[in-house]
Amino acid sequence: MSVAPPEHASPDVDLDVDAVEQTDQPWVTIVWNDPVNLMSYVSWVFQNYFGYSRVKAEKLMMTVHREGRAVVSSGPRERMETDTEAMQGYGLWATFEKDS
Amino acid sequence: MATAFKRKGSRIVARLDGNERAIVRELLDQTRQLLAPSGGSTGDPVEDLLAGLGSVPDPQELADRDPALARLLPDGHRGDPEVAAEYRALTEQGLRQRKVANLSTAIEALDQPAARDKLELDLGQAQALLIGLADVRLALGERLELRTDEDSERLQQELADLSTGLKASSADGSQDPRLVIGLYYDFLTWMQESLAGALL
Repeated sequence: MSVAPPEHASPDVDLDVDAVEQTDQPWVTIVWNDPVNLMSYVSWVFQNYFGYSRVKAEKLMMTVHREGRAVVSSGPRERMETDTEAMQGYGLWATFEKDS
Repeated sequence: MATAFKRKGSRIVARLDGNERAIVRELLDQTRQLLAPSGGSTGDPVEDLLAGLGSVPDPQELADRDPALARLLPDGHRGDPEVAAEYRALTEQGLRQRKVANLSTAIEALDQPAARDKLELDLGQAQALLIGLADVRLALGERLELRTDEDSERLQQELADLSTGLKASSADGSQDPRLVIGLYYDFLTWMQESLAGALL
């Protein structure tokens, strides 16, 4: 036996909250500094794979070099896994994680 | 004696003498053998890919892995071993096959008949060689235990000292296996830098 709750519970509300959280916290692809890959090569990879401009690619490369890591792309998890796999294909040290 | 890569229209051109070409080819081939997917090949790349999809690498094999291979196939996630294992199961076989195919393209390009040591590449071959050189240098860098930028600078210094020492005393420092790998690594660094410059 059951009774209807006094207020109509809307499961949509919960779903919407989840959806908002997902867009607010996308996933990111990170490239880490390593002692082997050349600065020119890393710039070339960012231009070649992401289609970034030379200026943007060099800026990202310098962030990796100086700060030890840089976020190179962000979006849904599946796309970040694809980007990570692509970066590893080029030999860059890449990981993905939930943006914090 | 090698000359730097230059772009000539749609071609990328350099000179590489027979000895240099043989060394680069051998190192590309060794890296290809290192990366060849475990569990053998059916000879059909599509079948191999399907066979490997979703297969979880043996944890013991992962732990015992040659550090150079481990460096070429790093974890995709830091901090969550479960996510890392899931990612590896989905991607590792495909990644290995793409790297092997890319190295094969680079090796075939080096095997082209050469007139007067000339190496002439189309854009696809040049990119395959550029990416292949990154994989070879990562494997050699692991053998040389290059972990930080300072390690790389120290190696540069050691090689510079070696070349000064050789000129001064003609002592044979090239017997030291670490320095032999270092000299190969240094040559490939120069080559990759010049190729990246020609492609940028």
